[in-house]
Order: sequence, then structure tokens, then C-alpha cells
Amino acid sequence: MRPTMVTSAASQDIPLDSLQGMIQMRQVIKTFKNAAGEFRVLKGLNLSIKGGEFVAIVGKSGSGKSTLLNMITGIDFPTSGQVIVNGVDIHKMNESQRALWRGRNLGIVFQFFQLLPMLSLLENVMLPMDYVEMYDFDQRPKRAMELLKIVGLEKQANKLPVAVSTGQQQSAAIARALATDPPIIVADEPTGNLDSRSASYIIDLFDQLVHQGKTIAMVTHDPSLTERTSRTIVISDGELIDETLAHALPLLKHHQMLEATRLLEHLSFQPNTNIIHKDTHVDYFYMITSGEVEVVLCGKKKRDVSVARLSAGQFFGEVELLRGGKSIACVRAAPEGPVELVALPRQQFISLLGESPLTADTIAYLVQQRIEENRSADRRSRRWFGKEVDSE
Amino acid sequence: MFINPKSVISTNPQSHPAQNPLVELRDVFKVYQTAAGDFPALNNISTQVYPGEFLGVIGKSGAGKSTLLNMITGVDDVTSGQVLVHAASGTVSIHDMSEDDLALWRGRNMGVVYQSFQLLSMLSLLENIMLPMDLCGLYRRTESRERAMDLLRLVELEEHAFKTPNLISGGQQQRVAIARAIANDPPILVADEPTGSLDSVTADHIFAVFERLIAKGMTIIMVTHDNNLGPRFSRHLQIADGKLINGNNPLLNGEQP
Amino acid sequence: MMRPRWRKIFHDLIDNKMRTLLVVFSIAVGVFSIGVIAGTYVIISNDMSASYAANQPMNVELRTGSFDSTLVDTLQNLRTVQAAEGRRVFNLRVRIPGNKLWTTFDLVAIQDYSNIEINLLRPLQGSSIPASKQVLLEKKALENLNVPIGSELEFQLANGTLKKMTVAGIVQDQTSGAGDFLAPPLAFISMDTLKYLAQPESFNRMYVILAQNGDDPSYLNELAANLKDKVEKNNVVVYRTRTARSDRHPMASIVEAVIGILGAMGVLILFLSSSLIANTLSALLNQHKRHIGVMKLVGGSQGQVFGMYIVLILAFGLIALLLAVPLGGQGAYALSAFIADKLNFNLTGYRIVPFALLIQVVIGLAVPLLVGLLPVLNGSRVTVQRALSNDLTQDTGTKREVSPRPESAFEKFRQRLMAGLARRGIHLPRPLLISLRNTFRRKGRLALTLFTLTMGGAIFIAVFNVQFSLNQYIEQIGKYFIADVTLDFDTPYRLKDVELAGLRVPGVQAVEGWAYASAEVFNNDHTAAGNVTILAPPVESRLVEPILVSGRWLQPGDERAIAVSESILGLFPDLKPGDNLHLKINGKEADWIVVGLFQFVNQEGTIAYGTYEYISRLTHMANRSFSFRVVTTDHSPEYQQAISEELDAYYRSQGFHLREARTGLSTLKTASESLNILVIFLLIMAVLTALVGSMGLAGSMSMNVLERTREIGIMRSIGAGNRAITSMVIVEGVLIGSISWLIGVLVSFPITYMLSSIISVAIFQSPIPVHFTFEGFGMWLLLVLALSVVASLLPARNAARLTIREVLAYE
Repeated sequence: MRPTMVTSAASQDIPLDSLQGMIQMRQVIKTFKNAAGEFRVLKGLNLSIKGGEFVAIVGKSGSGKSTLLNMITGIDFPTSGQVIVNGVDIHKMNESQRALWRGRNLGIVFQFFQLLPMLSLLENVMLPMDYVEMYDFDQRPKRAMELLKIVGLEKQANKLPVAVSTGQQQSAAIARALATDPPIIVADEPTGNLDSRSASYIIDLFDQLVHQGKTIAMVTHDPSLTERTSRTIVISDGELIDETLAHALPLLKHHQMLEATRLLEHLSFQPNTNIIHKDTHVDYFYMITSGEVEVVLCGKKKRDVSVARLSAGQFFGEVELLRGGKSIACVRAAPEGPVELVALPRQQFISLLGESPLTADTIAYLVQQRIEENRSADRRSRRWFGKEVDSE
Repeated sequence: MFINPKSVISTNPQSHPAQNPLVELRDVFKVYQTAAGDFPALNNISTQVYPGEFLGVIGKSGAGKSTLLNMITGVDDVTSGQVLVHAASGTVSIHDMSEDDLALWRGRNMGVVYQSFQLLSMLSLLENIMLPMDLCGLYRRTESRERAMDLLRLVELEEHAFKTPNLISGGQQQRVAIARAIANDPPILVADEPTGSLDSVTADHIFAVFERLIAKGMTIIMVTHDNNLGPRFSRHLQIADGKLINGNNPLLNGEQP
Repeated sequence: MMRPRWRKIFHDLIDNKMRTLLVVFSIAVGVFSIGVIAGTYVIISNDMSASYAANQPMNVELRTGSFDSTLVDTLQNLRTVQAAEGRRVFNLRVRIPGNKLWTTFDLVAIQDYSNIEINLLRPLQGSSIPASKQVLLEKKALENLNVPIGSELEFQLANGTLKKMTVAGIVQDQTSGAGDFLAPPLAFISMDTLKYLAQPESFNRMYVILAQNGDDPSYLNELAANLKDKVEKNNVVVYRTRTARSDRHPMASIVEAVIGILGAMGVLILFLSSSLIANTLSALLNQHKRHIGVMKLVGGSQGQVFGMYIVLILAFGLIALLLAVPLGGQGAYALSAFIADKLNFNLTGYRIVPFALLIQVVIGLAVPLLVGLLPVLNGSRVTVQRALSNDLTQDTGTKREVSPRPESAFEKFRQRLMAGLARRGIHLPRPLLISLRNTFRRKGRLALTLFTLTMGGAIFIAVFNVQFSLNQYIEQIGKYFIADVTLDFDTPYRLKDVELAGLRVPGVQAVEGWAYASAEVFNNDHTAAGNVTILAPPVESRLVEPILVSGRWLQPGDERAIAVSESILGLFPDLKPGDNLHLKINGKEADWIVVGLFQFVNQEGTIAYGTYEYISRLTHMANRSFSFRVVTTDHSPEYQQAISEELDAYYRSQGFHLREARTGLSTLKTASESLNILVIFLLIMAVLTALVGSMGLAGSMSMNVLERTREIGIMRSIGAGNRAITSMVIVEGVLIGSISWLIGVLVSFPITYMLSSIISVAIFQSPIPVHFTFEGFGMWLLLVLALSVVASLLPARNAARLTIREVLAYE
């Protein structure tokens, strides 16, 4: 049975509200040419990052994630499509204008810090203010010192970069990125070259910045960092992977995620509408994009027992798909608000599990747990409601 | 249904009891001096590599895997310990050789491949492959040319023989780099993230080449940060904080509902 | 097929054409200048004297009163004399008919053109034997009066009448360039023509070639004195004696000294070019670190790598040689021809000088090898680890190795300085700071660049100072020739007559008659030591402002007293004021007291000043003189020119036998013009060194930009626009230029002294006082700033063109 719900076509449609997004990419295509032929690195990306988001961009080398970052910073230009950052179409400027714009709007943090070796930390931090002529000349040293204080480097302010540790260099680089108080921080593997203690210090700094309202886009391939971000964007082979899918099934390989993304159906449900009815066949593996669903053991006397509440990033339907048979519980949109889902057809789900034993194991483990939960819930409800509730 | 994640990756260094090791690391330490004090990049590493193995060394960046590789190739010095190679030409202790002897020995006995290919841009692919033969003098000139052509054929690039490296793709460049690494027919090939800057399809090409070489009896040691590559090796080691560890899959730390 | 390693070197040579050109040009500049100078030196020192000697130059020249061929025969019959010849030499004004401009020629009447034995004439064009009323022009004469053969020239005799003669041919007299630069050009006539020109048909000059020892200066002096005696015994007055070696061009030592200076400059250019080569090669090796790492990785030994790059350097050298050797040969010949033309001698023809060729080849190969040795050695020693560390997979291990550097004393000082400034609220703009610190980042490269630029500048400044000093000196010499107009008459006139006539010309303030005498100086053992020309102005004359070296000037009442020019010290090194000199004047020997020594141009031999009052009596010319000095109200050259023409006309109209009325400044002008040729040479060398210097700067700046592409990308990423990047590079270039100017100013002082002393010794036989002029310092400042901007413009534009993507290339 195919769920009868509102299906939004695909990711091509850009929702209107994201027009207020800090970073927007529309149909961005990037093709590189060399003698060996043409090579499409970005295959029509649509992406919207809102102000105040802390976004991790994840992808393997060669996936196009650095190109994606270069599009945002205006370091590289798209073959076609639009990149609008903080309300400006950045590829309509010339290189010099863009440099100035970048200085005022973007703070860039590099993997290898890229402090200018001939300037002290303090001077490095002052430099962007000099270039874009922000703040009074006499105010700049004071502001730079304050920024260094924030990253805990006020004592090293007059040292050259080579005289401090790599972690301190990266802290100084972040202070520099903040010098012109840009709304957006772009970071390319900011912790890639740091030991874990320094790395977590840097991420703490990022956290604080996000709390102050900065938007941060960070490329990383350290999975432990993505936990700390508010959102993870996975790119594979020049295409974005559905974020819900990536969140729900992180153990899939990126190319598997990509195949699945192409097959996903996007669904949305009004509050309290049923998504899965009890005792029906389940044909989809559902993953929650936003909103919450309730897993409900429907009592025969309309005394429903909610056994679980699932929220964004979690999934359901796997028990039925794996064990076969009809649904053991019904799932419905929570009363508080509408629910957005993505659904993967059964066939693809099964074959995906076949390809990814790790995912299969994890899900199998989860199924085991859920069934046990259901059983105990059953038992509980039986105890509480006497004979009124049937098991299964 | 339920499989212990720890069993997914099996690490069994004792799987080659019958053979003598080809490469042997004995109590290798490598310490770097930093502002914050000494940093032990490698902390008492002892391990063996056996002939015919396709050994993977997997670790996060900073774990010390490239340092380990540099110890094996002799590109960097050990702080203490020994690296022995029992090649057919005799056993050598890598870090007891002079820079020049080592260069020549490495040219003949150990091919090295890096993530960034390191081809010489002014030479054609053919010439790049002939370079080690020219420098080590193991082959006569006409011979080395034929051999270089054979190697290009092995990596399926013979039609590009006279192009310069910038005219071919990254994956193709890496294949040429491999061909160059094995130009002097060394028994050992060492690769540092050879697929690190390649997409997955291209990376598969590289692995296909490696597998062909293994089939021909070569021993390959490769380091990577990519856990997913584990199953492609005949054996692999995990390295973290400068120590070799067994098993443990950090990828399973992902969240569960 | 080339082996891969040689193929690599081949590509290194041809792929980066700009770099190859820079290295090749750097080598070629040095090889070229050394080639030119060595070649010129060999050609000149050979041909100059050979060509001179082939011309049968006279050993002794006596300027005398009239004599006839019997005296010639007398001398001819002496055992010590191989050949003697009498000629008549006098000067006349000449012009192309209808032309207003007069020039003065020395006319030489020769008895038998078919049988000249001394100072041979080389026919160049037309006839070589003038018929009556015909002249042969000496080649140099064409510089003043370029007329074709067959044309007529108008000569003005002393009495003002005009006589026409036809140019019959062009000849060359190589000895004419051997005298002073200031002598008028020669024209040759037959004895028959003398009458036509109202000249006595007798000789006034005796030329002699000695039978032996013509190359021994002391023997020459002795024989000259003997000959003078002989002539004077025949009742012929000898005004002046001149001797010359027959194997050596009289100007040879000066020319060799000048070439020596050029040689020193050439060596300097070589130094500068080698620092340029060193810079470029070490940058090249730096850029090739990765290649070296790869080659060592695949089995290349240090020796193999070393060999490859040595071959590369040799290849650079060879290409440079191919360029510089033919050019250097041509240049040497052109420079030799120029000098030969100036000094009127002939080259034996274009040839390759084996010595110069050898020196060029050695320099072209050895210098690059020498300066390249260290960079190549260091480069070939680089370990694979270090060579590839930027490209190796980033691992904490490899990265950690670059541990924080301990702070140097300089760094601590910098921190204190910056902190101190900051406390006072002084913050330099960071973009300026970047340029400032960038300047000092590659200290070795900076040192080499500064060296080239500084030396170029110092020489440039020094040349200006030397020129200024020379002019000052000439001006001081001018103090001995203060007169606005000099009048030379053919016969002596009473002082009063000339003075009264002169004062009738408006603008004339005073007219003075000077006396002259030629004196022979004797050693204590009564052997002849040399000749002294004595000038004798009235003792109260203000027309001489001597630069006294020691002693005093003449006073009224001085008798048998002279002030002598310093060059007398060449004959009597210990001479002091108050000492006596034994002189023979007009056949009378006496001891003269030397009252003082003064500085003077030594070219004309030793001169001395006596008092008119005493000398005129001695020469039986009391109250009379051949030569008068006129002082006018205005001393500008234009006025002098005008009044000299007026005086010329007036005296002639009054029946005076005026030979010539010369302006005072015109003498000076000619003198300084001949110096200017030398100065221009020096300036060309200075500009060449300055060019090499700015080439070095441009090279350094390009290398800097190339090495800092990544940093430039970073600057772009934090908001630096094109202007910021461009000005960063240019400011650095200008900083380097300014520093080099400062050092150059300091270095220019010793160089000025050195250069001035070499040149003045070559020209005046004595060092001249050194003067400094702001002109050189100022011009070099402007020039070096302009050069710095130009030299960094291209690198700056390249830097600004870099986009971040190229710079930070992520993928």
C-alpha cells in the first residue's frame, strides 16, 4: 500500500522561507576541464543555510566538498547557477570587489592556519581591518587584543606565528577570521591538523560564536566533530545527500547514501494523522526530517498507548520491513505539529542493508531492542489495563 | 541477527606463521620536539610484514601512520629502534644506511607512492617511469624503455605514454606513479594514502592495480585514514596515538535512536 | 632518445624561458664586459704602439727659429742620428669659402713628399703629394672641416689677406694624435706654397730619429739636449724640445690606464652578475626541491642529482657564451676602433683575440659553477622528507617537526620595539609592516640584491663626483688662464702699443703682455734632466690664481726665481721651496730659486712661472711680447667670443700681425670635452651596473612573489584587493631601492676617491682634489626609486593576478 499523503516533488524546489537564508546555492554546476576531458564536480546543488546555523560539510576527498566551499567563499566560480551569500550574488563582482566583500562578510579559517609568518599574532588579527578599512585606525589594536583575549592568546599577542603551538595558531586564525565581525565563518578542516585537546577547544570556540549568532560552515571529515554541529551536509560525487537519510543511517557509505537519496520520497503529515496503521503492510522505511511522530499501540477500546515518540533524525518501519508481516503498532504524526518525512521504498531498503552489513547489524540490533520495548510495553499495558489490551 | 561490531574487523597478526617476515619493525620510537614538549609520534612499534601481504595501516590523521610509513621507507629517522628489511638481496637495517646508500637501495627494493603522485611534470609518462631505471642503472636503455612500456600497459595507460602528467586525470597519474614505483621491480611497494585524493571509482582502479601486483607476488604496505577500506587488505592494522591497536571500530559510535 | 634525467634537465632549460633568460643574461653581461675589455686591452696595447712605430715616429722634436737644410744635413751626419728632417709648421685660420666659421689649422710644409723618413704620411684618399697651392688634409681635419677632394679652402694670412688652396688629398699622420688633445688639426703643403702664404721658405721644426736606443727615455733626453746644443750653436733659437719613444705611443700609458679602469668596472659587473646568478640559481634549486626529493625517492643518489644540476649550470653558461662571445668580440673591436679613431692610429684589422676568448670561456663556465656550487650542493643534500614534506600526507608527525622556533635576539628586539611603539599609541599600518618585514625575510637574497644595486649606484654617484671633480679641477686650471681673450702675434710688439690699441676696443679693461722662455733643467751632475716652459706674466698680474702646493707665489723684485708645477717632482722628487734648480735659458746657465710649487695639468710637461720683468730682460724682449692677455668687462663665453672677433678684426686693421685671438673659456671647453669622452664611458659602465642591479632586483622580487603566492592568497581571502597586493610588492621593491641608495651613498665615497685618483693619475699624472656634488646622489636616488618601481611592477602585477583558487588550490 502506498501512503496517501502530500508528496513534495523533490529537492529541486526551493522553499520560499529559505530566501532569508544566509547562504543560498541554486542549481550550482561546476565543471572542470582538462585535456583528459570534462569533469563535473558539482552536479546542480541546491543548498540553503540559515543565519545562526552551525553546519558541517562532510564528504570524501574528491566528493566536491572543497569546491562547494570555494563556491561559498567566492574563491571559485560556478559554471552555472547562483550563489547568494548574505544577500549578495557573489559571482557578479570582480576579484578585487570580491576580496573586499569577503573581508567584510566572511571569516575564513584554514586547515593549516595560514597566518602570515612575518606578522605577530596581533598584527595578523589587525590586518583584515586594515584591508577593508573597518574600525578607526586607533581602535584596531584594541579590538584585535580583545579578540585574542577571547581565544586566550593575549599573552602571545606580540609573538610571531612560528613561536606558538599549532593549536594557538589556529586560535589566532579564528581571531583573525572574527576581526571584521563577519556574519559568516567558513572553516576548512579547522581541526584537521590539531591534536584532540586543541581540536575540542576550537570547536568550543565555534559553539560560542554560533550562540552569538554567527553562521558557521565547516568542512571536516572527522565524524566526531559533526556531533557538535546543528546540521550536517553530506556531499558525494558532486551531489548532496539527503540530510535526514545521512542522519538516520550514518553507517552507509556515501555512494550508497547517494543512491538512496535519489530514490527518496518526501512526505508531510498534518498533526494526528496516521502514517502507519496497525496490521497493514509497510512498504517504506521512514525517516523523520522534522516534527515528531508517536508510536502507538492501538487499544481495542480506543485506549491508545503511546510507546515511543520519535523525533527528527530517527526512523521507523524497519521492524516490519525486516521481519516481514504487518505492522505491530501504528505510527502517527504528533499532535503538536506537522511532520516531514522521507521514505525509502522497501526494495531499496532491503538491498541497501545487503550492501552494508554494518548498517544491517545496527538496525538488527535496534529491531531487537524495539521489539523488546514493545513487549514490555505490552506487558505493562496488560498489567495496567487488565484484559483490555491484546498482545500483538 | 545481532553481530558484535567488534567482530566485523578481524585483525590477526599471527596468520603467517610459516613464513619469515619481509619487513620487521623492532621497538620503533619516534619523538618530535615541540613547544609543548616531546611528542611521541610512534610509541614502541613492533610488527612484521610478510611476503605477499597487502597490509593496510589505518588511522586517523595525526595517529602516526604516515610517520610509520616514513620509518619503513627511511625517509625520516627513527628516534630509537630498528627497521629491518629481509629482501632477496640480503637483510638491511634501513636506519643504519647512509642517505645515498639508502636512496639507491630504495630505488631497487622499495617503490613508494604518495597521495600527491609526485610525477615530474616536465617528463612524459614513459620518461617518468624510466627515471628510476636511469638513476639506478639496473636496466640497459633500450631495455628500460620496453620495460616502461610494459609497466604502462600493466596500468592500462600505454596510449598516453608520451603525454605529460598534467594532461591526464588524477587517477591516471597515480597509476603512473605506481608504475614508476615498481620500475626497478622492487619486492615491496609502500603507499601513503594513494587513493586519498581520488574519487571512489578511480580509487577502485588503483586497488585493481594493487591486486594485480599482489597476484604477481609483490608485498604492499598502504596507509589510509579510511576505515571502509579495511576489507580490501589481506590484513590491516589500526594505529592510534602512535600505537598499534587491534579491532575497535570508531564508526559505530554513531547515534542510535 | 635522451635519458630521462637529461631530458629533465633539458626541460628545466627550455620550459621556464624567463628564468633561463635571466640566468643566461646575468652570465652573459659579465662575460660580455670582460670580453670587451680584455679584447680591447689586447688589441689596443698591440696595435696602438705597433701602428705608431710603423710610422717612423720622431724621437726628438725641436721647435726653433728659422733654419735651412744645411742644419738638417749637419744633424743627419751625426753618428747618433738615423734621420733628420726639417719642416715648417705654422698656423692659419681657414674656412670654406663663403662660410663664416673659421677654424685653425697647423700647416706643415714638407720638402720632399716622395722621401719622407719621419712621421710618415699614410695616403687615404686622392693625391699624397701636394702641388703648389694645394693642401693635403690630415684625417682629423675632416672633423672640423668636412670637405671633398678638389674643393677650395680659404686661408687667412696674418695680414688679413685671403688665399685659396685646393684640397688634393687626405692623409693620416699618426703622430698627430700623440701630442696634446688640444693641438689644431694638420694640413700639409709643399715648400713652394710657403711663399704664396707669405711664409719664409725655411724650416722652424726639426724632427730627428736616433740611430739607436730610441726606446730609452733617459738616453732620449740626453740626446735631445745634445741636439739642442748643436742647433743653438748654429745660431738657431730652440723654443721647445720634445722627446718620444719610438716603440710606444705617447698616449699608450693613459689609454692603458683608462682601459684598466674599465677593466676594474668589468670585474665589478662580473661580481654583480655573479650575485645575480647566485640568487637565481638558489631560487631555482629551492623550486626544484620537490623534483630532487622525487629523484632521491626513486633511487637517485646525491652525486647523480649534483651532476644533473651542474650540467644544467654548464648549459646556462654555454648558452651565455654563445651569446656573449661574438658580441664581446664585436664590442672589443668597436671600442678599439673608437679609441684608435680618437687617437688617430690604425688597427691591424678585425680579429679574434685568443686571450679574450679564453678568459670569456673560463669566466662563462667557472663563475656560474662557482656561485652555483653552494646552492647545488645544498639542494642535492636535501632529504626526501624535507623535500616532500609539503606534499606528504599531513600527519601530526611530519607537521610537528616544525616546532616553534626559539625567538632570536632580533625577534625579541622587534617585539619590544613594537610594544614600545604601541604604548605610545603608534601603530604602523599592517600592509606597510608586511612590506617592511618581507624585505628582510630572505636575508641572503636581500644581501645579494642590495650588493648589486648598491655597487651600481655607488659607481653611478662616484662617476658624477669624479666628473664634478674633474670640472672643478679644470676650472682651477682655468685660474692660470683667467684672461678673457688671448692674443698671439707673429712678431713681438711693444706692450704699450698693444695695450693702447686694445683699450680702444669697447669692453676691454686691461691688456697684459706675457713673456715666454724655454728652459733646460740639469741634474746635479750637469746631465740634462728635462725641459721647463716658463711663463712670465707681470708680477702684479691678477690673471693667474695659482693653487699652491707649497711655498709662495712670485713677488715684485723676485729675480731668477720661479714657481714650478708639481710635475717637476717627477724629475726632482725631493725638491722643496727655497731649493735651487740649475736652468739653461737662451744658452745662459744659472741657478734659479724655486719659491713655490703649484698644481697644474701635467699634460703639457712641466711649466713654471717667472716674473715678466726679469724674464723679458733675459730673453731680450723687455717691454715687448708675442703674447698678450686681455681682460674684458663681461666674462661670459658669448661675450668673450664676440670681443675676441672684434679684437681680431681691430688689431689686423691696425696693421698688427695677429696670428690668433682665442677666448679663454674655449681652451677650457676643449680640455673638458676630451675629459667628457672618458666620463661618458664611465657613465655607460655605471648605467650598465645599475641595470644589472635592477635586473637583480626584478629577479629577486619575482622570486619573492613566487614564493609568497600562498600568503598573497591568504591576504586576498581576508579582504586585500588588487591595490593592496600591488602596493605591497612595490613598497617592498622601493624599500630595497632606498636601502641600497643609503648604502650606496656611503660606498660611493671610497669609490669616488679611488676612481678619481686612477683617472687623474692617468690624465694629469697626479691625483686631483676630490669634490662631491649633490647631482649624483640626487639623480641616483630618483633613478633607483624609478628602477625599483619598474622592477617590482611586473612581479606586483603577477601577484595581483593570482586568484585565491590558484593559490590555495584545495583539490
